[in-house]
Amino acid sequence: MKLQLRWPHTLASRLALIFFTGLVMAYGLSFSFQFYERYVSSRSMMLGNLELDVSTSVAILDRLPAAERAAWLPRLERRNYRYRLDTGKPGRPLNLADAPMAAQSIDKAIGNQYQLDYQSIPGPRPHFQVHLRLADGNPLTVDVTPASVPLSTWLPVVLLIQLALLLLCTWLAVKTAIGPLTRLAHAVDSLDPNAPGPELDESGPREVRYAAVAFNSLQSRITAYLKERMQLLAAISHDLQTPITRMKLRVEVMDASTEKDKLWSDLEAMEHLVREGVAYARSIDGSTEASCRVQLDAFLDSLVLDYQDSGQQVALGATTGAVIDTRPHALRRVLVNLIDNALKFAGAAQLEVQHGANHSTVIRVLDNGPGIPADELDEVLKPFYRVEGSRNRNTGGTGLGLAIAQQLTQAIGGTLTLSNREGGGLCAQIELRRVSP
Amino acid sequence: MDHVDHVLIVDDDREIRELVGNYLKKNGLRTTIVADGRQMRAFLESNVVDLIVLDIMMPGDDGLLLCRELRAGKHKATPVLMLTARNDETDRIIGLEMGADDYLTKPFSARELLARINAVLRRTRMLPPNLTISESSRLIAFGQWRLDTTARHLLDAEGTLVALSGAEYRLLRVFLDHPQRVLSREQLLNLTQGREADIFDRSIDLLVSRLRQRLLDDAREPAYIKTVRSEGYVFSLPVQLVESPS
Repeated sequence: MKLQLRWPHTLASRLALIFFTGLVMAYGLSFSFQFYERYVSSRSMMLGNLELDVSTSVAILDRLPAAERAAWLPRLERRNYRYRLDTGKPGRPLNLADAPMAAQSIDKAIGNQYQLDYQSIPGPRPHFQVHLRLADGNPLTVDVTPASVPLSTWLPVVLLIQLALLLLCTWLAVKTAIGPLTRLAHAVDSLDPNAPGPELDESGPREVRYAAVAFNSLQSRITAYLKERMQLLAAISHDLQTPITRMKLRVEVMDASTEKDKLWSDLEAMEHLVREGVAYARSIDGSTEASCRVQLDAFLDSLVLDYQDSGQQVALGATTGAVIDTRPHALRRVLVNLIDNALKFAGAAQLEVQHGANHSTVIRVLDNGPGIPADELDEVLKPFYRVEGSRNRNTGGTGLGLAIAQQLTQAIGGTLTLSNREGGGLCAQIELRRVSP
Repeated sequence: MDHVDHVLIVDDDREIRELVGNYLKKNGLRTTIVADGRQMRAFLESNVVDLIVLDIMMPGDDGLLLCRELRAGKHKATPVLMLTARNDETDRIIGLEMGADDYLTKPFSARELLARINAVLRRTRMLPPNLTISESSRLIAFGQWRLDTTARHLLDAEGTLVALSGAEYRLLRVFLDHPQRVLSREQLLNLTQGREADIFDRSIDLLVSRLRQRLLDDAREPAYIKTVRSEGYVFSLPVQLVESPS
């Protein structure tokens, strides 16, 4: 199996990885060097002691009468080495070049006075023995068990505590660096020009403060632009309405002629465009309408009856008896636009309601018309977009109806999706999320 | 001599008020045109009209203010038809709250205006309503229901919105305007014929049964709308205006 090293996905983990690896490596290096230096110095001190001690002890034993030597042995014994007055255990001869440092130190201390014979003794605790003959010809064996340089037990604990401290500092540093960025990303993500959110906190380090100030001014600029656009549209439409009214009134008193009919239909088209333009601008501006509890069945039924009363083929299919929290005027406008669209292209529309996932409510407006080419399903929700071939007077419209429906559906917390039905026709689906009261 | 209805038109645009005035005159109405609230007050000081067409967007005193003023003065019974420039729910609602009897969105056609004027005149003349809806009382309570007369929907006991179709609203409104009074099918048909007079072709009986369903009224033992054999229908419960707290 191949081990794959993957660069972590979040900035926080990347930064943490860099910081932590760097700090641990730097710290590890300095710790190892210090430790090595300490090891070397304490070893040379220990060996120096060994040299001195062994030469002294051997000298004492050599001077002592043979009978008294045994009594002195415990007094000369040390933690790592002891003296024996026999020839010792047999072992393998030890080459001085490969021998432990302690052997070399002993060689340095007494090698020039005595003939030394090194024997390595294998076993569970390997050690070596140095054999020599004292001046009176009696044997003496130095039994050495090489030991590592003693390490204090608290050292690993300290090392662990320091590692934990490094980890904590890394976490704090990353959190400090990432926190403002995350907040900014959230703020940008939830940036809603219709309902300006709370301003970002303009405090903290200079860079963070600067970003927050920039974001806040961006937010207020967007709001101002939108407001300006609304005012512009409203002003244009209002100023157009008076001349259109005058023209309509004038045309009405004209004698009947084809010119009069043409003028009239042009005026109607202008009026429609002005109205839809304002409605679209308003739908972006967000609704000021309050939300209330609505019996959905009665709501749809009355809408359908209004269509039927004016001779349109609109029917209500399956219902759910749901009571939903919504903005009734906005929802009505969405449905009216979708039904009008269906009537325009198919001549008839059907409504149905279903329960959706997560307690949402799904309202569908279905028709048996030509549908919309699959690659244009998203495009038709954009303002002023018209499906190719519908740009004639009869079916063209303003290209705003679906855009308004889309905007308003979003404003009431729903999603609008268009799809082509199997067997032809369009399905416009509004999914309304359940609003917790 | 027959009575000729006198309509006062208040609009700041000279051409519009003249064109409208001429059209209405040609169609058998007597018209007076004025440009603003000042002229309107001066004219109404010494004259009585049958209906006032009032533009909302005017320099100086706007239509909403003038309508409220009319409703408070000696012309409070004169029907008012508002002209609004914005095709906006809020404008319509405010206009109706201020006591307008109907509204029309600019740009409108003169023929449509004439039809509305005639409908409003017929409605108010045939059977003057017993209730006067005012700014502070837009809710009518009856039984367990309340009718919002500006948003045109019902509210049940829990305050849940129950929508009404246009025809249902108009019929219910006629019943609530004339409670505990027998209304003939012909009267009901006439009173409910609003602007969609030409397309309204369903029988009153069907509409009544629809409205009963909406009110959850049992058709066999109706509590709200009772059938009076060979005469028509009667709304049998008392009706009350709800004063809103504001």
